[in-house]
Amino acid sequence: MSRLTEAALVCLAAAVAAVGAALAPLAAGDLPTYDTLLAPAVFLAAFGGLLLAVRRWAPRAARTLLPLAALLTAVGWVEVARVDRDLGRLQLWWLLVGATLAAATLFVLRRRGVGVLRRYRYLFLVAGLGLLLLPLLPSGWPVRGVTINGSRLWVRLQAGDLSLSFQPGEAAKLLIVAFLASYLADRHRALTNMPRRLGPVSLPEPRQLLPVLLAFGVSFAVLIYQRDLGASLLLFVVFAAMLFAATGRYAYPAAALALLAGGGLAAYRYFGHVRVRVEAWLHPFADFAGSGYQVAQGLFALGSGGLTGTGLGAGRPDLIPAAATDFIFAALAEELGLAGGLAVVAAYALLAAAGFGIALRARDPFRKLLAGGLTLTLVVQTVLILGGILRLLPLTGITLPFMSYGGSSLLANLVLIALLARVSHEEGS
Amino acid sequence: MNPALRRLAAACLAGLVLVAGGLTFQQAVAGPGYRDDLRNPRALLDRAERPRGQIVTADGVVVARSEEGADGARVRLYPEGDLYGHVTGYASSYFGDTGIEATRAADLRSGNDGSLTAALFRLLGGDLRPHQVQLTLRDDLQRVAAAALGEQRGAVIALDPSTGAILALVSHPGFDPNVLATGDPAEGNALDADPDQPLLNRAIAAAYPPGSSFKVLVAAAALATGDYDPGTELEDRDELALPGSTAVIRNSDEGFCGDGATITLQRALAVSCNTAFAALGMEIGAGALLAAVEGAGFNGTIPFDFPTAASVLPPDGLADDLPALAQTALGQRDVRATPLQMALLAAAVANGGEIMRPYLVRAILNADGEETSLTRASAWRRAMAEEVAAALAQMMEAVIADGTGWRAAVPGARVAGKTGTAEVPGGAPDVWFIGFGPVDPEPGEPRIAIAVLVEDGGSLGEDGSGGSVAAPIAQKVLAAFFGG
Repeated sequence: MSRLTEAALVCLAAAVAAVGAALAPLAAGDLPTYDTLLAPAVFLAAFGGLLLAVRRWAPRAARTLLPLAALLTAVGWVEVARVDRDLGRLQLWWLLVGATLAAATLFVLRRRGVGVLRRYRYLFLVAGLGLLLLPLLPSGWPVRGVTINGSRLWVRLQAGDLSLSFQPGEAAKLLIVAFLASYLADRHRALTNMPRRLGPVSLPEPRQLLPVLLAFGVSFAVLIYQRDLGASLLLFVVFAAMLFAATGRYAYPAAALALLAGGGLAAYRYFGHVRVRVEAWLHPFADFAGSGYQVAQGLFALGSGGLTGTGLGAGRPDLIPAAATDFIFAALAEELGLAGGLAVVAAYALLAAAGFGIALRARDPFRKLLAGGLTLTLVVQTVLILGGILRLLPLTGITLPFMSYGGSSLLANLVLIALLARVSHEEGS
Repeated sequence: MNPALRRLAAACLAGLVLVAGGLTFQQAVAGPGYRDDLRNPRALLDRAERPRGQIVTADGVVVARSEEGADGARVRLYPEGDLYGHVTGYASSYFGDTGIEATRAADLRSGNDGSLTAALFRLLGGDLRPHQVQLTLRDDLQRVAAAALGEQRGAVIALDPSTGAILALVSHPGFDPNVLATGDPAEGNALDADPDQPLLNRAIAAAYPPGSSFKVLVAAAALATGDYDPGTELEDRDELALPGSTAVIRNSDEGFCGDGATITLQRALAVSCNTAFAALGMEIGAGALLAAVEGAGFNGTIPFDFPTAASVLPPDGLADDLPALAQTALGQRDVRATPLQMALLAAAVANGGEIMRPYLVRAILNADGEETSLTRASAWRRAMAEEVAAALAQMMEAVIADGTGWRAAVPGARVAGKTGTAEVPGGAPDVWFIGFGPVDPEPGEPRIAIAVLVEDGGSLGEDGSGGSVAAPIAQKVLAAFFGG
């Protein structure tokens, strides 16, 4: 893909935002507002700026990453702004901040490359775990955890009248993937060897397994204390997949699956909120007014959208709980139909293919695992929330990368794209 | 590491393919089920939030309108209560839509469906306010018909024979659409379970034995053969033994119809002579009778705003069964007709043999009351030749002037008609009057055709007859039409 095509595709994403920003108020019977001009301007500034940053600090980066991220962000933003105009406006600011942060990432890594991240791996581990556990800080502190919708995954920074909420889990996932990539790049041989035997089961040295077990433990802690099914499942799956990527041993995913089954059964048995989720998944209409409500409303939205959708602005996202965040895809599929929904899924598939392509082409294990781990995070998160909306999986409250409203999520995923771009630059010809 | 990474990539793509499959299933396969699920509030909200236009009569009386309630939701109101219930139907989120509310829902809804096209249309100054539906019904005739029918179970339907426009349509017992649109569902369910069937539109959706009113068709069949005219002499009998049967046909007063020798066809119709018509039916035969009956629309479907019950004369075996043919000629046995069908028969005679397609909606009006589209009258079918219709009109005028239909006479108007008293085994008769006026109208003179049916002899019970119960009801409607 030429540089011109890449730039043209980024402009196309801005055009999508412009058209969406014009259509949404029209559908409500209002004239287009200044958002109509603001949105494409912000998209051009954010992704154009990021494009320039990539040209300058990672010129050999894969050229599919930015246009895909821009397109998904634009389509998501159009739906977010249509669901809630104020959130749409806020999301534009988050987009600017996120693009700046992504550009800053590229700037910091411009000389020494992603390899420098290996030096700070234990810092990343501690920071990642710390961030994950941050929401447990008691209420009343200046930095404190907040429980929203029964899950304690928010942190609120309070300084005088100013307050800022964020989801530290989004940043934590990047730090933990960076740690795992670095740790596994050094230890993958030790973890591949399995000298110890326990009956018919071969085991690596217990010493080598310790950090891995710690990581598993943390994901369960997140589940238990924060009631955050989505983040814990995401971490867990990404751990297991990265172990498998590093060692090529099926024993790890098999063990993870066994743990997941055992842990899942135990969680189902002992945690009410897990049981409720599973019940709502299997029988969303049994407790229609209660636990099944969100899933059922999502299905109604999907069904009402049909093949071609109701058209932008003609759906009823006001009926779907969390339409701007976790259920943005249900709102989108109602208005753009199966056609629009499949296009979005295809865009994620292309992004996944690009990410894995970068990982496969990378020569050094750390870069391989970093690119692979980041791509896995992106795809697993996408499949978890889409599978939840579509009743393929129990619903786990987690954002849809690039599309859901949410600053933390957008920031983290834009930085993720910057990291992927940097890895592909370093391994590019 | 690459083999493992490749497998992970494959697994990720498989996951996304699964998502695409799940999406396709939920939207394309299971989708319609979710869309139409009663718990899916979309249709309800659309109904509550989108303005709905008025339904008005031809003379401007509002019979359905919407009012915004305190909570912002719109409430459908029917100011005339049960007078127009069977025509307007109701728009109910619980029971669904019926009547004009259902058939003209697209016209009544606001044009603002939230689409881009609608938004652009409005930006360009287009009018998206909901349209009004103007009925062909005349409020004055509707009121007179309802009052004349009173508490008797039955139906009155009147139309303009030259256009097919329905002028009055009453079915009793009726129902108040307000109850179904906004009331307690229990009250609506009670209406549905009521043994008197108030939700049944007897004018179009119920078929009854037409009795002697059917003789108009027998006469039409005879005239169509060319072997008969109104003056043709028929044998006057006091009783007629049916061949191959022990059954005997008698006249209603058990005597002769005339002088005991012969009686003209016109006179036989005027006094509703059973023996003469039973014999006539057997004379002309099943083929000629069926041709005339089906020509008038029996055994077919009447094109109308609403589904109608079938009016039937089962043709099987009629040719070989003379007793059955004789009884059929009297409108008994297996003949069934809706009041609408019988009104159309009267209209055919009034309109030179041609039946116009009946319709209930005169025009669609915009929110300011200006016509945006007008229903154009169109012919449905030719029931009989023009000469036959002219002869029948003359004969039916004699029914009013000097026959069983004298109670339908309107001073100063040339009214024609026919009574009918259909015997119902083990009960009081269903009584009829069909008619029209004026006979031989001036060009442009207003015309009306009418059918009245009263179940179980109405207020007179077993003693009821078409002449004594149905004709006076028709007279009031005809008088109102010609008097006004």
